[in-house]
Amino acid sequence: MAEEPVNETAPVAAGGRGKSLSAIPFLVALASLAVPGLGHAWLHRWGRGIVFFIAVGGLACTGYLMRGQVFTAVSVDPFGRLGFLADACSGVFYLLSRFLEAAGPNLARAAGDYGTRFLAAAGIVNLIGMLDAYSTACGRRG
Amino acid sequence: MHASGLHLSHFPAMVIFALLVSVALAGLGGHTTGQRIKYALWSFLLFLVIGVGLAWLMYPFSR
Repeated sequence: MAEEPVNETAPVAAGGRGKSLSAIPFLVALASLAVPGLGHAWLHRWGRGIVFFIAVGGLACTGYLMRGQVFTAVSVDPFGRLGFLADACSGVFYLLSRFLEAAGPNLARAAGDYGTRFLAAAGIVNLIGMLDAYSTACGRRG
Repeated sequence: MHASGLHLSHFPAMVIFALLVSVALAGLGGHTTGQRIKYALWSFLLFLVIGVGLAWLMYPFSR
């Protein structure tokens, strides 16, 4: 029996045979966006998954503890919309903001202003993680 | 959670930020665990040195 040729550029085993290979990287990216590190965990990159979960979760939780501003989708200000995009990229941590920052923002203190930056950074770091998971699923990264 | 929140001053806030972002960046770079730890340490150190350096440069204009 002749062996099948190995395609080294094929996406990492994230689903197995019979599934649409082109859809898997998008699903991995979506999983990563929803829960930081989940896309890497799906690809069995446990270390990176844990690192991204801790980093994004740490930044988001510190931002909430410092009572930073959480931007909502409804904003007339373009910076507010950009802030929403950055915040929303932290996935599940953005959805938990109502519980994690029940007291609301406090921008009267410098800590609150720093908290706003922490929250935005959490989203950006998760976005980078999502792109990394997507590239790994496409077979572009080891 | 306490309603008044966490009141970190500038330096501890920068240290926590640098630590978490360095860990995340190290997760992307390097091939071995040793390389990643080295990357994280370098990144953390550079965050602190550049942050303190910029603060020192801006100090004369702060008042």
